[in-house]
Amino acid sequence: MNHIELREQTCNDAEQTPPVIRLCGVAKTFTNSNQTIEVLKNVNLTVAPQAIVGLIGASGSGKSTLLNIISGILKPDRGQVCICGAASEEFNDWGSVGYMFQDDRLLPWRSAIRNVEFALEAGSITKKDRARRALQALQLVELEGFEEAFPYQLSGGMRSRVALARSLVTEPRILLMDEPFSRLDAQTRALMHEELLRVYQLKRMTVVFVTHDVAEAVLLADQVAVMSPRPGTIREVVDIALARPRDMTQPEVASYMQRLRALI
Amino acid sequence: MATNSSDAIDTSSLAQSLSRRLRLALIGQRVALVAVVIGIWWLSSLSVPHYILPGPRRVWDALHLIAGNGDLWNNLGITLWRVAVGFVVAALVGLPFGIVLGANKRAGEFFEPVIPVLNTVSSAIWAIFAIIWFGISNATTIFVVFMTAMPLIITNVWQGTRTVNADFIELAQALRMPHWKVMTKIYLPTILPYFFSGARLAFGFGWRVSLVAETIGSSSGVGYRLRQAADLIRTDQVFAWTLTLVIMMATIEMGMMRPLENYLFRWKKDAATQ
Repeated sequence: MNHIELREQTCNDAEQTPPVIRLCGVAKTFTNSNQTIEVLKNVNLTVAPQAIVGLIGASGSGKSTLLNIISGILKPDRGQVCICGAASEEFNDWGSVGYMFQDDRLLPWRSAIRNVEFALEAGSITKKDRARRALQALQLVELEGFEEAFPYQLSGGMRSRVALARSLVTEPRILLMDEPFSRLDAQTRALMHEELLRVYQLKRMTVVFVTHDVAEAVLLADQVAVMSPRPGTIREVVDIALARPRDMTQPEVASYMQRLRALI
Repeated sequence: MATNSSDAIDTSSLAQSLSRRLRLALIGQRVALVAVVIGIWWLSSLSVPHYILPGPRRVWDALHLIAGNGDLWNNLGITLWRVAVGFVVAALVGLPFGIVLGANKRAGEFFEPVIPVLNTVSSAIWAIFAIIWFGISNATTIFVVFMTAMPLIITNVWQGTRTVNADFIELAQALRMPHWKVMTKIYLPTILPYFFSGARLAFGFGWRVSLVAETIGSSSGVGYRLRQAADLIRTDQVFAWTLTLVIMMATIEMGMMRPLENYLFRWKKDAATQ
């Protein structure tokens, strides 16, 4: 599959359970003034429904670019992106794709609940429904009671949880996360891992997350896709066949980490 | 996460009684300050003729007189109305203009020299132009207030547009928010503090400038009365009108500006109280 041009392939292939995300031969080049940077080259990736997929690789391997292509914000120069069985250009239910940034990106002039509502304001949901759903999302991340707090009054972990609530309030089928916990301290990060897995148990969305932290990838993911350095391509996809919750003391975790580090 | 509720109540009531004591101390300080100022004033007035420096008693009587016969309220109202109109028009013009200059790079570059030039033209010059164009009328004062306030508002709003956080725009794009919603939900709230600073400055300058305009370009208002009193060497009335103005400004600042600012920007981490 790696060396064939897949222009002819459509997203509607007759498959038993179509993958939620499929990338075929995706390539992306950035040009600015006099530089041309080939960021991604021939990326092929398949994400099954309700899978948690981690994306790791060296700095500059194009992980974030790839995530942005999946989210539809960036268009690939070559190749095809299929979301929920539809080509990315034709897909129009982007509300079902949640996105969590590296920093919490909470609007400082809005309270926690109004920040969560923000995700619903792109559409035409009534004010009452927005408030109700935002409250539910905050309850989901166990921040009930902090609806009216402003971001400056919240700790880093709490702001992260508000950001998580915001990405979940649209009831996404797919959750994309770009190093969402990298700015947090180790303990808060561990708590957020638990939080994410707890929410995942309840909502069972498909998760694709980018991380620099190999341990994080092994602790959370069903599959870990390892990207090569620029131009980035998927070197290998490693299945993590361990039941969750996993912890660092398990020898299998250590061996997976070793294996992945060798691949980066 | 959940605190012991009885601890929370104790610390809250302690904080309340502390802040009450601080507030009383502050009021005491203010009262003492006023007493000192009046004291110095009174002492100074004893050695000088009353048409140079009238004492507190004389000024109080003059104030009483103009308040009693409605003079104070009428003229204050007129001046206030003119300043308000000039200010509101300046805001209505300045806010969109500032946003456009900030959002559209070419427009910004094109019009950039205009603002410093406008700022250089002093309000006295605007007053002279206004008299030529509008004669002795309300429009004169309103025009001067407008020309002084508008560049201030435009500059501040323009500066505000530069501080719009690109990360938030990216967030809105990820949420597929239409462009006009990005403007109202991200640009406007980001610009608001800058607009407020500009508006506050503009209002303060507007007051001062309206007096200048009124002394030479109208037949009513506080500025007119000030000049009239000076012409008649009724220095006690000059003081009385000045005091009126000072009290008016202080009232607007304390009673309107301060609470408004506290409400609008309650989401800001206050560096001073940390």
